[in-house]
Amino acid sequence: MNRGPWHQCGDRSQKLVVEQIEHGAGVGVILSTRDLSYQKAEQYAAIYHDLGAQVLIDLQFYVPGFTNISLASYPTHEYRAKISQMQPLSDNDLNGLTVALQEINQNINADGIISPAIIYQAGRPDTVQTNARLFSISKQVGDELGIPTYATVVLGKSVTSSDKTLEEILSPATSLLADGWYFIFEFDPERIPSQVESVSRCCIAGLRLACTGRPVLHAYAGPMALLSFGFGANAAGIGHCQNLWKFCPERWQPQRRRTGGTKAPARFFSRSLWGTIVYPDEVARMSIGLQEQILTSSPFSTQITPGKPFLSITRWNANKHLVHAICSTVAEIAAVNEPRINATQAISLLQEAVKLHGTIVDTGLTLRDNTNVYQENWRLVLNELLENQSSDFDYLELLRT
Amino acid sequence: MPFVVPMDRAQAEFPDYNFISPLTPSAQKAAFHVRDENGNDLCLKIISPLHSMDERFQREVQFLQTISHPNIAKLIEYTLSSRPGQYRHYIIEEYIDGVDLKEKLRHGECWSRPDASSIFSQLCDGLYECCNRGVVHRDLKPTNIRLKPNDSPVIIDFGTARHLNLPDITKTSEGAAFGTWPWFAPEQFQGTKYDIDHRTDLFALGILLYEALIGKHPFYQLGMTYEEGQEATCYSNDCFSDSGFLALPFQWKLILDRLLRKNRSERPKDAGQVGTILRRIGEIL
Repeated sequence: MNRGPWHQCGDRSQKLVVEQIEHGAGVGVILSTRDLSYQKAEQYAAIYHDLGAQVLIDLQFYVPGFTNISLASYPTHEYRAKISQMQPLSDNDLNGLTVALQEINQNINADGIISPAIIYQAGRPDTVQTNARLFSISKQVGDELGIPTYATVVLGKSVTSSDKTLEEILSPATSLLADGWYFIFEFDPERIPSQVESVSRCCIAGLRLACTGRPVLHAYAGPMALLSFGFGANAAGIGHCQNLWKFCPERWQPQRRRTGGTKAPARFFSRSLWGTIVYPDEVARMSIGLQEQILTSSPFSTQITPGKPFLSITRWNANKHLVHAICSTVAEIAAVNEPRINATQAISLLQEAVKLHGTIVDTGLTLRDNTNVYQENWRLVLNELLENQSSDFDYLELLRT
Repeated sequence: MPFVVPMDRAQAEFPDYNFISPLTPSAQKAAFHVRDENGNDLCLKIISPLHSMDERFQREVQFLQTISHPNIAKLIEYTLSSRPGQYRHYIIEEYIDGVDLKEKLRHGECWSRPDASSIFSQLCDGLYECCNRGVVHRDLKPTNIRLKPNDSPVIIDFGTARHLNLPDITKTSEGAAFGTWPWFAPEQFQGTKYDIDHRTDLFALGILLYEALIGKHPFYQLGMTYEEGQEATCYSNDCFSDSGFLALPFQWKLILDRLLRKNRSERPKDAGQVGTILRRIGEIL
C-alpha cells in the first residue's frame, strides 16, 4: 500500500482524480462501485495505473440496503443484495462471490483486495462471523492473485459508543490474518466530524489497527486525513465532496430532491485555516496581509489572488483546489514515517489554524460557514492521543525500527 | 485426571519397543520415552479408551500429520487396531531429547536476554506456523515445551488445541476454559470459545517469557485458588511494578507489556511479529 494520500472516488470525481494525479497529488485511488459502472471502473483503473497510482476497488457491502444502476453492473451484486435482505450467505453463495471477486479485481488489475464487509455492530456476533467469512474468501482471492488482502473494518456507531463495545469488536476484527486494514468509522451526519469523543475513538481505533504492524488505509478521511498519519495510518482516502469526508450511512439514502447543494456558493479551502472560506464579502473585509495568509494557492486556484477582488471560483475548481490542498499537505506529513512526528505536525498546523481564526474574529468578522468548530477539538484529540496512548506509539516505533 | 498406564504393562503391550521412562501423562494419553529396534528414540503415547473416538483427538492427529516444523513435535505413526483380545490405539511422535521448559524456569532465576531471545523467538516460529494453520494450542505451559540439548524448543501436546477453520465440536454455551489455568489468558477465564484465537497463546507466551526474564510468574503465587488466579490474570497489573521487570531494558518491557495485555486487540498481531522483535532486541544489554 503506497504511503500517502489516496483518492476516495465518488460523485463523478473520476476525471478530477486524473487531473490530480497528473499534478502529482495522490498515490492511489479507491474506486467507488456506487458511482462507477463495472465497465467504467475497468477503463479508469487502467488510466490511473498508467499515471503511476495504485488502484483498489471498494465493493461497498457496508450499506447493503442501498442500490443503484452502477452497483448492479458488478457480478458481486446479487450477493450484496442477499446481505441487504439479511439472508445468510450459503457455501454456494460464497463460492460464487469468490469467483466474482477474483474477476473484478483481476480485470481492474487491483493492487490489493478490499474485502467486502458489513458494518460491525455491538451485540451482534453475526456481523463478526459474516465479516470473517467474507474476509476468508477475499484472502483466498488475494493469495490466488498474489496481492495483499485488506480487511475492511467498518465501526458502526453502536460499536464506537463506548470503550467496552469498541474492544468487543476490535478483538475479533484484528484476529483476521489481514495484510492491512481498510478502516471506516461511522460519524454523525455533520459536515466535518467535530465531536471530541467520536474523533478520539476514531483515532484510538485507528491506532489499535496500526499497532498490528499492518498498513491502515483510513477511508472517507477527507480533511480529517490531517490526523490519519498521527494515529499510525499509512494512507488516507480524500474526496471532494462532504459525503466523502466521513462515513455516514444516512448520507447513502436516495435523495428525492437535492436541497441546497447545487445552489450553495463554491467553497474555497484554505490550507492555513484547514477549512473553507465561502463568501466574497468576508474576504473583502480582511486586510491584504490576512488575505495572503488565508488564500493559500494550488494549481487550481489561479482565479484567487490576495488583494484583488475575490472572484467567485467555479464549484469544480473549488473542488479540485480542495483535493489538491489536502493531498499536498497530507503528502508532506506522510513523507516522515513516524506517527508521533506526524501527530505533532498536525497539531502544529491546527494550532496555527485556531490562531488564524482568532485573528479573523479579532477583526470583527464572523465566518458564516461555521468552519472553525473542529480544529481546536482535533488538536485536543491528538494531544490526548500522544499523552494517553504513549505505549502504543512506542510499540509502533518498535515495530518500525 | 491424567491417564496413567504402568510402564511394565505398557512394555508388555508393546514388546517391539524398549521402554526407557514414563513422560508426563495428560487426561487423554499416557506417554513414554521408548526406543525402537533400530535404536531410534521415540515418544509413544497410548490413547485412553475414554478419549479414543474423541473428535478433538482426531483433529490433533490430522493437524500433526500435515505439519512439519522444527519447533513442533512430529507425528511418526498413528495406529488404531482391534483384534480379539487386543486393542491398540497409540501414536508415535518424535522424541524430543532434552528437558521440559519447566526444568529451566526456576523461581528466582533469571535467564540472560540473549538466551531468552534465542529460545522464545524459535518458540514464536512454531506458534506462527500454528497460527497460519488456524490452530490455537490453548495449553502452552512449561511442561508442554521441550528443550533440545541445543536449547531449541519444541511445542508438544496439541490435545486441547482449537482449530479455528473447522466446525465447532462443542456447543456455543460451552466456555473457553480448556488448558491449565496458571497460564490462562483473561479470555480463557471469562470468555466463550469464540474469544479464543492465536493471541490467546501469545498471552501464555508472555507469562513464560516473564517467568524466564524475571524469575517468577507474573500473576500466580503458590497456594492461589482458581478464583484468585482469575482475578490476578484478568485485572492485576502489579507484575509491571516488580523491580525485576522495571530493571529490564525498555524494549523488553514493551514486548512483555504487549504480550500480557488483557485485551486481545492490544496484543501483538501474531507470533511472527513477536519473533522478529525478540531476535532484534536479543542483543540489547
